Amino acid sequence: MSQYISNPDEAKELLPRYRLFYATIAFTFFIFTTRLWYLQIIEGTELREFSEKNRIKQVKIMSPRGLMLDREGKILVENHPGFEAVLNPQYLKELEPLSQTLGPIVGMEPDKVVQKIVKSKRQNGPFAPIRLKDNLSKDEVFRLKRIRLDTPGLDIRETVVRHYPLRDNGSQLFGYVGEISKKQIPLYNQMYKGQITFDQGDIIGKNGLEEILEKDVRGKDGIQFVQVDAFGRESNTQTPNIYGEQIQDLDPSPGMNAVLTIDKTLQEAAFKTFSEGQRIGGVVAMKSNGEVLAWISSPSFDPNEFSTGISPQLWTKLINDPFKPLRNKVIQDHFSPGSTFKAFMAMTALQEEVISPSTVINCPGSLRFGRRDYHDHLKGGHGNITVYEALERSSNVFFYKMGISLGIEKMYSYISQLGIGQKTGIELPREATGLMPNSAWKKKELGEEWQPGENLSNAIGQGFVQATPLQLAIAYNAIGTEGKVVRPFVIKKIIDHDGKTLKETQPQIIRDIAQPQPNGIRVDPTTFKVVKEGLRRVVQGSRGTARHVHIPGADIAGKTGTTQVMGFAANDIYSKCENRPIHQRHHGWFVAFAPADNPEITVAALAEHSCHGSSGAGPVVKEIIKKYFEKYHPERLAEASKTEKSKRAQAQPEVIEGE
Amino acid sequence: MDLSLHVEERTILKRIDWNLVMVILALNLVGLINLYSATHGPHSADIQPLFRNQIIWLSVGWGIFFLITFIDYQIVNRIAYLVYFLNLGAIVFVTFFGVVALGAQRWIDLGFFRYQPSETMKLAMIMVLAKTLQTRSSEGSGMGLRDLIWPLILLGAPFVLVVEQPDLGTGLLIAAISSTILLFMKIKRWILATAISAVIIAAPLAWNYALRDYQKARITNFLTPTNDPRGSGYNSIQSKIAVGSGKILGKGFRKGTQSQLEFLPERHTDFIYSVLSEEHGFIGSVTTLALFCMLFLIIIRIASTARDKFGALLTVGVLAYIFWHMFINMGMVIGLLPIVGVPLPLLSYGGSSMLTTMAGVGLISSVAYRRYLF
Repeated sequence: MSQYISNPDEAKELLPRYRLFYATIAFTFFIFTTRLWYLQIIEGTELREFSEKNRIKQVKIMSPRGLMLDREGKILVENHPGFEAVLNPQYLKELEPLSQTLGPIVGMEPDKVVQKIVKSKRQNGPFAPIRLKDNLSKDEVFRLKRIRLDTPGLDIRETVVRHYPLRDNGSQLFGYVGEISKKQIPLYNQMYKGQITFDQGDIIGKNGLEEILEKDVRGKDGIQFVQVDAFGRESNTQTPNIYGEQIQDLDPSPGMNAVLTIDKTLQEAAFKTFSEGQRIGGVVAMKSNGEVLAWISSPSFDPNEFSTGISPQLWTKLINDPFKPLRNKVIQDHFSPGSTFKAFMAMTALQEEVISPSTVINCPGSLRFGRRDYHDHLKGGHGNITVYEALERSSNVFFYKMGISLGIEKMYSYISQLGIGQKTGIELPREATGLMPNSAWKKKELGEEWQPGENLSNAIGQGFVQATPLQLAIAYNAIGTEGKVVRPFVIKKIIDHDGKTLKETQPQIIRDIAQPQPNGIRVDPTTFKVVKEGLRRVVQGSRGTARHVHIPGADIAGKTGTTQVMGFAANDIYSKCENRPIHQRHHGWFVAFAPADNPEITVAALAEHSCHGSSGAGPVVKEIIKKYFEKYHPERLAEASKTEKSKRAQAQPEVIEGE
Repeated sequence: MDLSLHVEERTILKRIDWNLVMVILALNLVGLINLYSATHGPHSADIQPLFRNQIIWLSVGWGIFFLITFIDYQIVNRIAYLVYFLNLGAIVFVTFFGVVALGAQRWIDLGFFRYQPSETMKLAMIMVLAKTLQTRSSEGSGMGLRDLIWPLILLGAPFVLVVEQPDLGTGLLIAAISSTILLFMKIKRWILATAISAVIIAAPLAWNYALRDYQKARITNFLTPTNDPRGSGYNSIQSKIAVGSGKILGKGFRKGTQSQLEFLPERHTDFIYSVLSEEHGFIGSVTTLALFCMLFLIIIRIASTARDKFGALLTVGVLAYIFWHMFINMGMVIGLLPIVGVPLPLLSYGGSSMLTTMAGVGLISSVAYRRYLF
């Protein structure tokens, strides 16, 4: 023990060492204080911002897209409230039993549910909410609500779902919406520079009017400032633990509404008739000033499927369908105009004075030109006929002869002025140009000289000529209105929520060919009147090819057309079209306007693989025009049926034969 | 006669160094206020009971403090080796059978309490070193090799085991505390020079062969924290944001978003000082730092007035213990040092740390209590 007894002097010898301690402590105090001063005072403001960025998450509140209304304000495209099931992974317990209960309700394999959760956790972190299923049905919402209390982490959220009450009617016109793709984000941000910014997850219009109207119908998204913790969990700002000031949320402002020129009544009537008999093709009805009244492309699809995220199976089916339901056939596909082209030929021949209205031309069953026979659809031919009968009965030989006399350049100079081979300029995306050939075109594109024989085939709309249904409507409308080539449009105006008009589309006449055109052509009103009379006889004449389209009082003038899908041997031409496999059957056209003297409505219908224009496309045109008159001029129909009745009472009832 | 009168005048209460007690109490108060905030965030239900635990540890700590104060510290002279070897045994046990947490074996689970022997080893180390070194002379050129062999063996055994657990932070702290005591005793210059150059040479070797990946990552992240802000550099960046965002006056009690919303990791233990800096700003941070410095000054004064060399060595040892913990912890929190799992004495949550610290300052109090010869 004694050795441990301390000696105070020993302790004293250590005294100088403490100076080093004092120095170290002073130094440490100095360094740490300096550092704190630097962090908290010099960098304090910046680091405070960082901490704010940490805790405030900006959540986008989607603005509802504007509505699309028909010309009378009826709803064509709207928004529906939807529900989606969301899982917040941090609150989830065991995945196995969870997936066993959830899977059957939302119609997913339990394994798939687990996979989805695991995948999302891996990709988006353990706290990002997982959208399990959107667009829940009422029944699903009800069943999920029942299990929600026992299922922590399950959330049912309200969403906005784009809804198309017309379903597959007009879907190519209205388009559809979907999530913006990664590739589209930079493109769209450039396209709408400064006006709208697009982020991942945004819903955009993907086709048709939805795509074109993006800027107008898309509102401004709101921002919700949510306080989150380090794991992305939203922390309730209502609790007493509020940190810092709360930032006011920015409310979303909904998009503007678009009033279309579409007439819902006509649109529905057109779709109903066109769908009966599973017609394939396109129909467009427009007013003579270019306002589109109805627009059908068939086969179609239900755009509501896209609003809720289309299933890969359905998508594959749509893009692999040989009849292309996603294409807008009214403007995006072009076809040989067939006999509908004859009206343009008649106009050209009359104006060029190759014939006069009274010129009689012999039309046998076929015409030999060069080393080939050019056939009529009627084996025996039509005999001696004028241009009126040629149109009425759709004689081929008559127009072969016109083709020979006119030559392609003359045809080109007139018919291209009608808008064939030119984009109509409608607001919709990806319009096809069509084609009105001439020798320069053939030289350039095919490197070959124009062959005289090609004058014949093109004269009946079977050669190189290509047109969209809308182009034919425009051209027929020009004949009907005696020269006015209009720009078709479908967006009438954009209105705000108080109904105030923000933008309005004015009807536009692109050219009036009753006036001299830059290329020197001009068409006299008398010429138009002759052509119109011929077209009237197609519907109203005793041997017209579309007699059954006739509506007393409507005064329809139109033209049928049948176009061969593939060339057949001579002996095959007269074989029955209906006996062929569907993809080999002829396309049928019918283009008409009414009333003939002063047309208000023009309708072009293409029924692919329907064999005949009159039976395939005719009834659709008839139905639309009938509905138009019933709605806008019921007195004319009533008056006509009265006179019809009195006529019948006087004379033998006239039996209208079917074609 | 005068002298004997003096003895009778020094009552028990007067012998206690109340400055020491007051400063520790002040730090306790700061610690409790701060810990309450750190454990009562909106999603902190799981760590909320820890606040109550800390109060228990603190009460037990003060009990130990006064118990040790009234016991003559010379008893340490007798039990130093016993404490040391028991502790070393516990470390051996932990290294092979301990509870694995965060990839390292550190605890013995006693049911109510997870005992961390490497923590008490720091104190045991101080005791054995004070015991062996008190007879060495600190005069002249300092201790030679022969004087150092035994202390180095005593230091080496726990150091190797703790680093093996692996708990490099605690290992380095044990080494730092011991080195401070040895340096205080004065070491021959050439030995010092050799030791420093040995460390410099050993560092790259340790980097390549001894350090675990996470330890390397901490060091590289300290040097370039923005390399991997979501990964291992996260703690360092979030702590700096927390401290800096407090600005001058802080965001206010329980209003530190970095801590309350859990952007700060380990906010109730290793990063408790970030919580304080965020909520109480520059003023609060410097005040707390100043309290620590006051504590150090009081301890140095006690050491310099100690009755004997053993008491002075014990006091210096505990001073080194508190100082190095504070230095490494705060240095890490304010971004001056790499992330090392070292608690801040008296402020961080933790029974081992609290009890060890209170026992340590209890020893100092005991030395102070007996500074008067009569």
